[in-house]
Amino acid sequence: MNVLASIGIVILAMVIMASLQLIPGVFALFFHYAIGKYSLRKASTLSLFFILGTEIISALLFISAFYVSYTLFLNDLNPRNNVLTWIFIGIFIALSIACLFFYFRHPHSKEDTELFIPRKLAYSLNSRAKSIRTPSDAFVLGALSNICELPITLPLYIITATEIMYMHTEYFADDLMTILYILASTIPLIHLYYSFRLGRNLATIQRTRIKDKIFHRFTISLSFLTIAILIICFRIV
Amino acid sequence: MQDFDQPKLRRELLLDARAIGIPSGAAEDFVDRSITAAMSTLSSKSLITDQDLKRAITKELKKYHPDLAYVYQNRDKII
Repeated sequence: MNVLASIGIVILAMVIMASLQLIPGVFALFFHYAIGKYSLRKASTLSLFFILGTEIISALLFISAFYVSYTLFLNDLNPRNNVLTWIFIGIFIALSIACLFFYFRHPHSKEDTELFIPRKLAYSLNSRAKSIRTPSDAFVLGALSNICELPITLPLYIITATEIMYMHTEYFADDLMTILYILASTIPLIHLYYSFRLGRNLATIQRTRIKDKIFHRFTISLSFLTIAILIICFRIV
Repeated sequence: MQDFDQPKLRRELLLDARAIGIPSGAAEDFVDRSITAAMSTLSSKSLITDQDLKRAITKELKKYHPDLAYVYQNRDKII
């Protein structure tokens, strides 16, 4: 049962990673400008480096999270009765409420998908997306947009690393779970990339994103809440 | 307050048009028409805000290509 709870937590964390909207938003803008300025071949190369940037930062953060979670939950990887576990539960419940009401700047608007991030940061990402010239620029933009999502993803990295280490003591699928978790945030980028390649443009993609706003809010919020409940049921009680 | 940079606006609109997949000849034609029409609409005003300009150009672009108008109107509202 413990292994199933761990797998459940990791899968829910993957769902959250795949539902977050900052990296796909930056990628959509970046790819739009890239195919406007360069050939499709160059735009594809740049997008590959963008994805590589997000993946490498994800992998590095996840490796760091393993170290942090090992340090935090050192007492035989069983966080039972640990005050830190309660802190993480609190963070997840807070994130659940925050993502439901404040993930998008205008949650009920049918005109934009502006996120609740500082506007200067959004303009900076927007102008960087517009001025990409080399693969290294694309790589840095991918890495930067991944780092900008850290306020939401950092607790997820730590708790997922803990669960994967917890699984390791009884089950063999920990390496597979680690790789899948790192790849989860790429799924929307690959979907966007092929949407552009199949002839959809930024307007149609943005209309779809607006239509899916409520779905993303509820998915992220419910996933955070379910993770908190799973931790309470299987790691505390 | 800053001067209106028409060549920059034209360049940006043509970039958007190319990204959307509009042939360059057609794009140049209706981008020029839209900017001219928007300028003549706004010519009576001595002071024009970014939003006024955006609204006027969007309104004109919608007549030719709704997707281009949508991208121009919403590209700052994506993230």
